[in-house]
Amino acid sequence: MERPMPSGAPSVATASLFVVASQLAGAVFLYLVLKAEGGWQVIGLLALLGAGFFLLEKKPRIADLAMASMARVPLLAVAMAAVVVLAFPFAVGSNTYMLHLLIVAQLYAVLALALNFQLGSANIPNFATGASYGIGAYVSALLAINFGVSFWLTLPVAALAATLFGFLIGIPSMRTRDTYLALVTIAFGVVVQQLLNNFDFTGGPNGLVGIPAPSLFGHSFADPLVIFGHKLPSQANFYYLAAALVAVAIVTARRLHGSRIGLAWNALRADEIAARAQGINVAWYKVLAFAVDAFLAAFAGTIYAFYVSYISPDNFTFLVSVTIMTMVIVGGMDNIFGVIVGAFLLTILPEKLRAFSDYRLLFFGIVIIGFLMIRPQGLFPQRMRDYGSHS
Amino acid sequence: MSALLDVKGVTMRFGGLVAVNDVGFSLAKGEVLAVIGPNGAGKSTLFNVITGVYRPTAGKVSFDGADITGKPAYEVVERGIARTFQSSRLFSDLSVLDNVIIGMHTRTKTGVLDALFRPGASKREMAACVEKAEALLKAGSGDLHAQRYRPAGTLAQADRRRLEIARALASEPKLLLLDEPSVGMDEVETDALVADIKRLRSKNPDLSVILIEHDMRVVEAFPTHVMCIDYGSRIAEGNFETVRADPRVQEAYLGKAAAHA
Repeated sequence: MERPMPSGAPSVATASLFVVASQLAGAVFLYLVLKAEGGWQVIGLLALLGAGFFLLEKKPRIADLAMASMARVPLLAVAMAAVVVLAFPFAVGSNTYMLHLLIVAQLYAVLALALNFQLGSANIPNFATGASYGIGAYVSALLAINFGVSFWLTLPVAALAATLFGFLIGIPSMRTRDTYLALVTIAFGVVVQQLLNNFDFTGGPNGLVGIPAPSLFGHSFADPLVIFGHKLPSQANFYYLAAALVAVAIVTARRLHGSRIGLAWNALRADEIAARAQGINVAWYKVLAFAVDAFLAAFAGTIYAFYVSYISPDNFTFLVSVTIMTMVIVGGMDNIFGVIVGAFLLTILPEKLRAFSDYRLLFFGIVIIGFLMIRPQGLFPQRMRDYGSHS
Repeated sequence: MSALLDVKGVTMRFGGLVAVNDVGFSLAKGEVLAVIGPNGAGKSTLFNVITGVYRPTAGKVSFDGADITGKPAYEVVERGIARTFQSSRLFSDLSVLDNVIIGMHTRTKTGVLDALFRPGASKREMAACVEKAEALLKAGSGDLHAQRYRPAGTLAQADRRRLEIARALASEPKLLLLDEPSVGMDEVETDALVADIKRLRSKNPDLSVILIEHDMRVVEAFPTHVMCIDYGSRIAEGNFETVRADPRVQEAYLGKAAAHA
């Protein structure tokens, strides 16, 4: 972190090559992980990943080069990422299980990005992201089942409801800090889950069944998706929907991070008293972080509800909040890309470790600890904002 | 000259402890006040009362014609009082540049919706901040500008003090409160600090400064208005010569026997 910014920016050709090659390599690796069968293949791929991160830890110049390349050819980087994301279902083909994993991973990526505003940017340990996720899912499901409201309309309504909930937890938590704040959010999370479990209109422990599939321009998301004569399974609809949401979350995160709001959050993370002395209304910015978190989490909840068409309180337990928190910590606090990688890793890994049957969770724990030993600051740690070196 | 800052009968009690006892003074636009006194005399507490960290038990603080007693700290900054801390409180994991830009918080406007839906405006605001911040980093002594992408936590002690001043200036204050800015500086750095403050004042003749100092070299450089506090009470006020000659001040610093020796 103490190194000065790299003086020589890479040439356009080098940057383009690096961007294309690294994204393709990432996509191929993800494909191999999803495809992997049996313990040895998984272990091999994990070892490869570990070696990659080891190299990254030893040679921080690689990360500098990556950032400089992205900054050099930003349009190419975005276009390439879009192509990779759009093309991925074609590579996966009719393997619905792989698609399912990708959808869940993307939804978790959104949840982790939502929590990152708090945990990463402002160091607010919010254990209620799972509850916001649940509120989003339930509000939209109830609207769709009882009133026949279309999916597209439930999206903003659910998000607003969850944001209101975010303000609700945010206000009492202004008075608490650190461990106590964590306790307040845990209590909120548990209360929400218990309410969902006990209310009649939420279906109690049985949850809500028969959430209708959304449709767009007459195309139902329950039907297979046909693009250029290629028939993709119906999950592909939700894959693209979730991908769009991830894109929205990334843009939101980038814009807030790059503005004075992101800086204010970082300031209160570093030193609340000093932040106040710079004119930052600390209480307001904390509540704001809660609201933004809840807003994005509710989007993910809505898509989840319509995707699985059946939700119950079990989907939104305290454990879900802890998982989201782990994704942020393992991926890298306050690093957008890192948080997404963390979400994918922690969603896909437990599935792939099924080969170890009874020892699955043990292995999972070992792998996570291993990665944190290689990269103690998270897989992709926070980076200094770069304003260019003009003047 | 009308008073910019007017402190009247301020008392600050913490339980049984009276940290500041009925202190009053006023400061005109463009004036420098040096506050001296032994450790624990209540100087920093006085700063905390003025900047809204504490609400005084009694008394009134007026700034620029408005009553700011007990107003929240973030509002006080907006009205034009910026401060540094005795034990520098930088945002240590953020870059030097980011520290200064955060200092501009009250002078920038972007809200969440602006940041999300008017990214151009947000970017322009940020670019203007960067430009201003770089100018502030170049203005002071030392080479903060060359270190602008370093995390603030890795700076040397003197640079940390300089950065705190730059960050305070970023809020375009009318009144600057410096809490022992020369702590941890050697003689050369202290002289550079004095020169910095003098240059700052000649550039902004309207800027008022209150300086808490232990280093008499710094106080001597701004000798017109000095106030000495001991055990929370003001024991002397006037120019440096008068205050230094005051027997109560000598007693406070040196002890009774020495003062009369």
